[in-house]
Amino acid sequence: MNAVGLHRKLEENAGLLIFGILFVSAIGGLVQVLPSVMQESLVAPEAGARPYGPAELAGRDIYIREGCGTCHSQQVRPLLAEIKRYGPYSRAGESAYDRPFLWGSKRTGPDLHRVGGRYTDLWHRLHLLDPRSVVPNSIMPAYPWLGERPANVGDTIQRKMRALRMVGHPYTEAQIEGAPQALEGMMEVDALVAYLQGLGVSSDGAAP
Amino acid sequence: MANAPDAAAAEPIRGPIRETYRDRVVTALVAFSIIWSLLGMAAGVYIAAELVWPSLDFGWEWLSFGRLRSLHTNAVIFGFGVSALMGTAFYSVQRTCHVPLFAPGLAWFCCFAWQIGVLCGGISLLAGWSGGKEYAELEWPFDIAIAVVWVCFAVVFFGTIAKRRIKPIYVSNWFYGALIIVIAMLHIVNSLAIPVSISKSYSLFAGAQDAIVQWWYGHNAVGFLLTGGFLGMLYYFLPKHAGRPIWSYRLSIIAFWAFTYSYIWAGPHHLHYSAIPEWVQSLGMVMSLILLAPSWATMVNGIMTVAGAWQKLRVDPALKFIVLSLAFYGLATFEGPMMAIKSVNVVSHFTDWTVGHVHSGALGWNAMITFGTFYFLVPRLMGTALYSVRLANIHFWLALAGTMLYVLAMWGAGVSQGLLWLSLDEIGEPSFSFKDIMASMAPYYALRLVAGIVFLAGAGLLAYNLFMTMRGRRTVSASPPASDSESQP
Amino acid sequence: MPYSSSLIRAIRSPTDAFETLARTDPDPLAVFFRQIVWLALLPPVFAFIGASTFGWRLGAAQPLYLPSDALTLVSIGYFFTLLFGLVSTAFVGRWMAPTYGADGRFGIHLALVGIVAAPMVAGSAFHLFPHVFINLLALIPALIWSMYLLYKGLPIVLGTGPERGMLMASALIAYLLVGAVTVLGLTVALWASGIGPSIGV
Repeated sequence: MNAVGLHRKLEENAGLLIFGILFVSAIGGLVQVLPSVMQESLVAPEAGARPYGPAELAGRDIYIREGCGTCHSQQVRPLLAEIKRYGPYSRAGESAYDRPFLWGSKRTGPDLHRVGGRYTDLWHRLHLLDPRSVVPNSIMPAYPWLGERPANVGDTIQRKMRALRMVGHPYTEAQIEGAPQALEGMMEVDALVAYLQGLGVSSDGAAP
Repeated sequence: MANAPDAAAAEPIRGPIRETYRDRVVTALVAFSIIWSLLGMAAGVYIAAELVWPSLDFGWEWLSFGRLRSLHTNAVIFGFGVSALMGTAFYSVQRTCHVPLFAPGLAWFCCFAWQIGVLCGGISLLAGWSGGKEYAELEWPFDIAIAVVWVCFAVVFFGTIAKRRIKPIYVSNWFYGALIIVIAMLHIVNSLAIPVSISKSYSLFAGAQDAIVQWWYGHNAVGFLLTGGFLGMLYYFLPKHAGRPIWSYRLSIIAFWAFTYSYIWAGPHHLHYSAIPEWVQSLGMVMSLILLAPSWATMVNGIMTVAGAWQKLRVDPALKFIVLSLAFYGLATFEGPMMAIKSVNVVSHFTDWTVGHVHSGALGWNAMITFGTFYFLVPRLMGTALYSVRLANIHFWLALAGTMLYVLAMWGAGVSQGLLWLSLDEIGEPSFSFKDIMASMAPYYALRLVAGIVFLAGAGLLAYNLFMTMRGRRTVSASPPASDSESQP
Repeated sequence: MPYSSSLIRAIRSPTDAFETLARTDPDPLAVFFRQIVWLALLPPVFAFIGASTFGWRLGAAQPLYLPSDALTLVSIGYFFTLLFGLVSTAFVGRWMAPTYGADGRFGIHLALVGIVAAPMVAGSAFHLFPHVFINLLALIPALIWSMYLLYKGLPIVLGTGPERGMLMASALIAYLLVGAVTVLGLTVALWASGIGPSIGV
């Protein structure tokens, strides 16, 4: 039987066709994605890496909410020019506590993976609330509402930390209990600044 | 090859059929799709304007770029694109199987549940509910809703195939079937998450693994939805426009299976030079290059089908859109593998070139073939002639100009960004500050805004034209043919 | 046969020029040496003069200057790329001709390509000031004009009739789009591998 004849069988049997599509399209995932998802070393935190503290975690979720990752990558490539511009290239072990990952796909604005410690807290605050007050040509949106809202409401932060503990982030009960106090009086902008200031410095302990 | 066997060369029919096709749900889906195209593209134009005049968000969070951008992508992909695919799948599966839809009530449920889902999902994105994964931003309640509707879609589609009166399953249904099956697989795996509250969840995967899973999803959502799904549309409607079978049936078989097999591997080319394993990156690059072959095989099949049916261009204004969509399909499926080559990717990645590439596919291929299909389909659904052929012709030139301008603006912007970012001076320091490079993009972004307005204006003409075609009319009823002699395709 | 004047007429009254061209039987070599070579030569010459005088302005602060030997190399590469693009488009056109019932003479395909390219070549005069965005702005109307000439002229010159002409012109557009993006990709890949101003890869 020739190939077209063989194919007739497939296209005359809906069940066989469905199975065929599922099987053929799953091969790539099974060979390529599954081993990566099984490979523990890919998500093993590197020495010195620690889960985000309450303020950083709240800040990171604001970063996600506002879609910052749409325009800012967090992935310094191992290229001379990028290392010169941004700092040491990104390693897998630095992202072990990133759910979701925020490597990004577009740099309308600069990469932020090594932004921690580059600017003062005050600069970040001004920049987030009104970017053009510090960078005249900037096309970044202003985020005035971040200055008006508390970083934590009720037990939100605790629920978040508990959820993350379920998937393996090593938060202690004391950390979770103390989280609301840690965020007491902080506005959303302060949490976001805390997150940004921790980027790239949490693992090797030094800003590039 | 013109005499190659057609998939619908069929078994003798078993008896007289009197049911009518369920086409009203198709009309509704087409109408919703058109509404979403206007909303989604208007959101695109608005965020393009925000990149020129950033204060256009008026400091109002619901208009902020980061949120509006995900509304734009979700409205065009899931509102405009999926509604169009669902509608055309329902239309063509009945005609290629010679039976009315299986479970038409469920089809109506799919139609309305999907619209409500996209609408509420869009609002939730503006409200800041976001999972943070590109093209999968919607939070877990919506992920579950999407999965439910998708399963119902599968039941209607495969149920109709199961009760078909024509033995061979036609090519378009393979592609629509692959769309339903593969998107379900990708969506479910990539959306796995631990909920924290109704509006917040954390991905089950972390860091580098999350990146691999996300781009396995992201790339293949493009592959099986924006490429494969619309190829299903092509394989049904092109022979219909042309009034003759597809040029080569053998080529369509090879192209389909090679496409289904190789597309799924290519995702890691979105992660070149990242911290994922080297072998995953290399495999992704090689498979991206291989992918060119099945992609172009389909293009050749399409071009040759039209080439033999040129007389139809005189009476069918919509065929032009399909011809041009094939040209941009050829461009986008070539450009993609090229940008997956590491030494090109090193410059193009993170730049506006990527945005241009996406839009050469989204505007030039997806939107054009959908427009062409709607101009063909709506008059048939209404049993009347198109309101204005002249407006459709104007739309054609607006769509072509808009796409070309968009692609050129982003090529210019992307190559400039890529090279200026990487440029080093004599002492080995970056030659230009990021701020200066960003500021120099202003004219390109302005040009892109113009391109978007031109394209949106064209879509507005389509909406007006088809609204006038539909006005005061109802979907006419059509029955499966009494004999299989007229069963093409 | 005054090919250069046929170019000018193609700009002034395209339909006449196309009809006249359709009646002639141009010799491919003559078209190549009297027309195509010059069309391919002008943009690199403009680019060379512009880049050596003003530097390449990609938009950011200071212009980029290439050492003159690298600039010569790039200009020569540009010339051969254009030459290849023009001639290969004519070949592709002739290859497609039977499918669309078009005239299969190579000379006439080459002459058509020459006419279609003329507005773009004229627009390339802006290479004299090689600012990327200004060139882009100048080349957009030129491109629209070229596309108009292609869609308008192809059916007349190749005698295909408007419908098949439209299809064939669209197929050529697809070839040219792919060609353009290939050139873009090759340039970038060469640049990334060390030809051109230093970039840190």
